[in-house]
Amino acid sequence: MTEEAAPPLELRGISKSFGGVAALRDVDFVLRRGEIHGLVGENGAGKSTLMKIIAGLHSQYDGRMAIDGKPVHFRSPREALAAGIGMVHQELSVVPDLTVAENVYLGQQPTRGGIVDWRAMMEGARRHLASLGIEVDPGARMGSLAIGLQQLIELARVLFSGARIVILDEPTSALSPPEVQRLFEVLRGVRASGRSIVFISHFLDDVLAISDTVTIFRNGRLIATEAAATIDKGWLIQRMIGRGHEELEGSYTGAIALNSKPDAAVVLGVRGLGAGRAFADVSLDVRAGEVLGIYGFMGCGLIELARTLFGKLRADAGTMAIDGKALRPRSTAEACRAGIAFVPESRRSMLFHAEPVYRNMSISVLGRIGRLLLRPSVEKEIARRHVQSLSIRPPTVETLLGSLSGGNQQKVALAKWLTWPPKVLVLSEPTRGMDVGAKEDVVRIVKGLREQGMGVVVLSTEPETVLSLADRIVVMKKGRIVREFAGETVSKDQLLEAA
Amino acid sequence: MTAMTAFLRNQMRIIAPFATLIVLVVFFSLTSRSFVSLDNAANILTQISVTGIIAVGLTFVILCAEIDLSVAAIANVTGIAVAYFTLQEGYVNIANVPLPGVAAILLAVLGCFLLGMVNAAGITLIGIPSFIMTLAMMQIGAGISALLVRGQIAYAVPDLVSLLGAGRVAGIPCLVMVAAAFLLAGHLVLTYTRFGRYVYMVGGNREAAEYAGVNVKLVLGAVIVISAVCSGVAGMLGVAHFGSAQQNEFDGYLLDAIAAVVVGGTSLFGGRGGIGNTIIGLLILGVLNNGLDHIQIDSFLKILIRGLILLAALIINVYVQKVRDSA
Repeated sequence: MTEEAAPPLELRGISKSFGGVAALRDVDFVLRRGEIHGLVGENGAGKSTLMKIIAGLHSQYDGRMAIDGKPVHFRSPREALAAGIGMVHQELSVVPDLTVAENVYLGQQPTRGGIVDWRAMMEGARRHLASLGIEVDPGARMGSLAIGLQQLIELARVLFSGARIVILDEPTSALSPPEVQRLFEVLRGVRASGRSIVFISHFLDDVLAISDTVTIFRNGRLIATEAAATIDKGWLIQRMIGRGHEELEGSYTGAIALNSKPDAAVVLGVRGLGAGRAFADVSLDVRAGEVLGIYGFMGCGLIELARTLFGKLRADAGTMAIDGKALRPRSTAEACRAGIAFVPESRRSMLFHAEPVYRNMSISVLGRIGRLLLRPSVEKEIARRHVQSLSIRPPTVETLLGSLSGGNQQKVALAKWLTWPPKVLVLSEPTRGMDVGAKEDVVRIVKGLREQGMGVVVLSTEPETVLSLADRIVVMKKGRIVREFAGETVSKDQLLEAA
Repeated sequence: MTAMTAFLRNQMRIIAPFATLIVLVVFFSLTSRSFVSLDNAANILTQISVTGIIAVGLTFVILCAEIDLSVAAIANVTGIAVAYFTLQEGYVNIANVPLPGVAAILLAVLGCFLLGMVNAAGITLIGIPSFIMTLAMMQIGAGISALLVRGQIAYAVPDLVSLLGAGRVAGIPCLVMVAAAFLLAGHLVLTYTRFGRYVYMVGGNREAAEYAGVNVKLVLGAVIVISAVCSGVAGMLGVAHFGSAQQNEFDGYLLDAIAAVVVGGTSLFGGRGGIGNTIIGLLILGVLNNGLDHIQIDSFLKILIRGLILLAALIINVYVQKVRDSA
């Protein structure tokens, strides 16, 4: 790159704080023409805040921003879009009931005499998608397509609306490896056309594979910007967390030894379990004092399996047994009584944000504290114990849950099952979206539960999560168990290969 | 933010409706000579008592982020039923079934309980949205009422109902005491029992409650049945209070009860509010309805004024919620 032209996007001295807490401090950031720029950092490091400023979602900040050398200050996403900046969020904003073509043309359908010109729209969408290397019937209903394809079409829509700079937030988190490869091909095509891409991700392998340049954020500061070809994952992790981190890193780069316990008693036995089209013929044994990891790609039936074990979804085939006693839970309350506990993948769907911490912890055990009447002093006492042993911050039980950070909320979600430990704990994506420190805490808590003799099931689409927690691993593929790893060593490659 | 302002923000849900009430009382005290008197205060309390009993059950339902549109219809059916099973004067032309007073009361209560069970079954077992299910029950209730009285009016009710609905003890209307007892019981259940906590949690985040092992369907079914039984009791005492049992007698009470709960500050989205809010809401409605009769204005204008003041109260409440949520 020479300096014949001003860069498409340039930020100088950007600072932003929320209620006195600095989220960004004096950040300089330059995006070049035809560049894929990776952005990494732990949660809360400042990368999302910076992108929200660029995309016009935050209009109050200090510092200067320029597009093609011209100073700008966006007050809304609409202004940012008009200046050529588009964003693809992790949660897709496609309209599932409309066709692919309508989604591409969203808000700007071609018309003839005031009537939507369907033929022009279908043809235009087909041409535009083909130019990006996306083969899909423009008349197909969006909701009927795989999530990876929907994402590509949303990217196509953003480009079609004139974006020359596209910000992708965690684009690979829901994709299988082939889908990731297809996304990368499309992104390389976009880059070749001279447009620029910001690629935000926790998946460092993906960032290194696709980016030309990588920028690292930590505590609101830009730590380094380097050419991707000159650095590796260990180098990135070190700068992201600001200290050596061999322990966790070691647990998933090489092969790790599994520690299954074939002699321990089976607490949860599952035989031939199936539910609709989600999964079929699943047989598992969960033993006391053992963490069973279940790994698979997004959409392989993991999420449905977890919900079926906890009685939220109804199985239509197979049997379950707790301590050898048959169980067919028709409600979560029934599963709970039988000794199964569940922490779902979304914090939003398992916590009460407007309620204090202690009520979030006591909800599952109120019946044990008092049959009819509440006993708030006992609730608070129990909560205080958990807050202390899990080092939850701030260390008070009256704080409203919504004001805690994500990692601390996750600890509260776990804590609600720790007072009277269940026989089996089912964890779905226990570390998703968490920073490295919080992940370590969760690993420590789960290992502590295993020591107490609980049977733990960890279901995850992230191989690192399964590898760092499990004593035995089964791999699910398209709703069926395809491989089991026990009493041997296993590496991330082997998992990915099996799935 | 200091602890004091944080405390105030948290209490805004009760402070704003309370301020509305104070403003109304001050306004009517200044504009009317007859408004401020012990007799009139007793009048207001009597006027809001029937609505109050209905509103207790409705508070449970709305805290769960559901709605019950059948409360007035169930009140009407139950009121008519208790008269139907009571011996009427000779000139009342209804083919009724006279029974002893206790039996009549038990049958009437059983009736509203069963209607509540039908509501609960439709909502939790079949999965019909409460808005639609209770809309259907509203029609069903009206239909049963029509069949029982066939356009006639019944007057006699069992002595116990008559005492509680129209009698006085030590100069205080029994109806007011019954309403106060219901409100107090509702408050105690919501605040101090496990079931009450579940009601708030189910309203606050239904999915999270389910994942915590709470039997959400049981809680929802229970609040719907509670609402029906409260409505039934209000219906019986209302018939005694009005001195007659007839079709469409309670039609105004559906909106009054909803308004009392919501104007008081209980969130229509569930999880926040309580009986304390409902009491304030009831007093606001009572003062408003009563006060407008004490000032010299066009009686046709009163309906419009009432609507506008309710709208203002609701706007204040939504605004307060935003202030609180932005904390």
